[in-house]
Amino acid sequence: MATETAIFEIDGVSKSYGGVNALDGVTLRAGVNEYMSLLGPSGSGKTTLLRVIAGFEVPDSGRVYFEGRDITSLPANERGIGFVFQNFALFPHLTVRKNVAFGMMHGNTRVSPSEIDARTQSVIDMVGLTGMEDRGVEQISGGQRQRVALARTLVMQPKLVLLDEPLGALDANLRGRMRNELRAIRERMGVTFLHVTGSETEALAMGDSVVVLDRGRIIQAGTPDGVYSTPASPAVAHFLNRFNMFDGNLSQGVFTGPFGAVAVTHATQAKDDVYAIRYDRVQVQPLGAVTSGPALKATYIASEYLGSSVMNYFETADGKLCEVEHHLSLGAPETYEPRQQYLLTWAADQAIVFGKEGKL
Amino acid sequence: MTGAIVEAKRKGTNWLIVPGIVWMALFMVVPILMICYVSFWTQTTFNISSTPTLASWKQFFSSDTYIGALWTTIRIWLIVLATTFIIGYPTALFVGLFVKSKTLSTVLLVICVIPFWTSFLIRVLAWRPMLGKEGAINIILMKLNIISQPIEVLLFTELSVIIGMTQIYCVFMVGPIAFMLGRIDRNIIEAARDLGAGFGRIFWKIIFPLSLPGVVVGAIFVSVMVLGEFATAGALSGRKVNLLGNIIVTQVGSLKWAMASVTGVILTVVMGIVIAAFLRIVDLKREL
Repeated sequence: MATETAIFEIDGVSKSYGGVNALDGVTLRAGVNEYMSLLGPSGSGKTTLLRVIAGFEVPDSGRVYFEGRDITSLPANERGIGFVFQNFALFPHLTVRKNVAFGMMHGNTRVSPSEIDARTQSVIDMVGLTGMEDRGVEQISGGQRQRVALARTLVMQPKLVLLDEPLGALDANLRGRMRNELRAIRERMGVTFLHVTGSETEALAMGDSVVVLDRGRIIQAGTPDGVYSTPASPAVAHFLNRFNMFDGNLSQGVFTGPFGAVAVTHATQAKDDVYAIRYDRVQVQPLGAVTSGPALKATYIASEYLGSSVMNYFETADGKLCEVEHHLSLGAPETYEPRQQYLLTWAADQAIVFGKEGKL
Repeated sequence: MTGAIVEAKRKGTNWLIVPGIVWMALFMVVPILMICYVSFWTQTTFNISSTPTLASWKQFFSSDTYIGALWTTIRIWLIVLATTFIIGYPTALFVGLFVKSKTLSTVLLVICVIPFWTSFLIRVLAWRPMLGKEGAINIILMKLNIISQPIEVLLFTELSVIIGMTQIYCVFMVGPIAFMLGRIDRNIIEAARDLGAGFGRIFWKIIFPLSLPGVVVGAIFVSVMVLGEFATAGALSGRKVNLLGNIIVTQVGSLKWAMASVTGVILTVVMGIVIAAFLRIVDLKREL
């Protein structure tokens, strides 16, 4: 069962809606003072998982433990787990201050009025809403609402905060800033955050650990670095959105794909034979260049400037889109001629190969 | 530039309200002014002349019958407002908030409206065989040996008027409240639960305040209709309950136009005060 180091633990939780499995035997644990991100496409069950932990949904089977206690059948208002909603779910008829103080004023723990005032003010100051206390929540911006939602949850001093795509409703600029603030606030409070997101960059950037969910099952869990550099399955590599993936055939240590037959030193056991190479590990060479690694002919289509890097788009002979990322820290980008053919090449040992054959 | 576009749009769309204004002016504003004017006319037994006088006004305020009707109207209005709210709010709560499927809640609201498929008079008169001395309720209670003598206060009393009006007007309370409750974001209620609030606190601090605009709209509907009522009282009170509406009907029937006008003006003023008071409770412009 739950040990002292785990703040929460879910054990074999399943939940289905009308015959469709939203969660299929999920087992997961998070430690004290940890930032865990939960990555998955929409419909992967990540929101359902969060709602089961919060107590808004009752699992069909499996148990939920919080601080070593079985809370599977405890109502949500007695769990003491914070929840930050994607749409913030602020109380529209209350001011910022009253929203933040709501849990202390109407919750099941008695807090003295002077303590309510003090805690409300200090958390409002912490999230940077000083001076906004008496505004209505309809009169403040999206970023400020996000802060109210966070303050309202944090003021209850929960040990575990669940965040359901908390940055999804914000624009890109604000999202970047809130990422840093979320991490800073979490570190200051020493609570465990379980952050659900559909964005792979968010999941990798924010989590001390990353859990990848697909169709109600956990398909990989580990450090961001571990998940990023060694995805456990083609599905994980696909969600990370950082890999050119080629279908082919792995047989006796040789992968045959659109780029020909390549000797493979290492392959991960998987249902399908897939060859994945990271966007930033691909080099572009003129046609006819001598290459040491695998090479694939492709037509240059367009490029996209991303600030710190340039993304070049190529199309292979069979119509597949390949992306090549060039980090600008490595020097000025090459310019390519549209509709011209180039040779895409990479070092064979940097590819990640999945196959039915598995480890070699 | 944008100002010019807005201006052009306004010119293009202004005519849309012309029919409404013409209609309201001809059939509401002018008649109300006429009623005010006629209330100062001189009434003789068989005739009325436009010589200005305060006689009808003095008569209204010095007569126990008329003043009594005013107080009866206000008393019945307040009671019916309370009963429609007490019965209507829980119904609306169920239909608007606890029924998760939108289709089912629409079906339930339509069911509430089914009585309106028959005429108003039939709905009122149908209470007679229900409430009468030998009516359905008395028969059932006697068959079950709960009572030995029929309950006579059920029909042709103020009680029967209140029962009838509550049944007829309850749906006007349920509709607006259910609509407002249906618009509450379920995440807000979950957020309150997550912050540790039990159902009672969530109801009084979140659900009820957010449904208040619906309560106000429903109360205005019910008030306007009950204050102007005469048919239910006429059919179910055995002429024992006289509302301002019944006074107007009687006076018009005996061609006492001036007295009918005085009563009409007083009724309009009462309604105006009631509506204004309700609108002060909540800023509908902001809420709807």
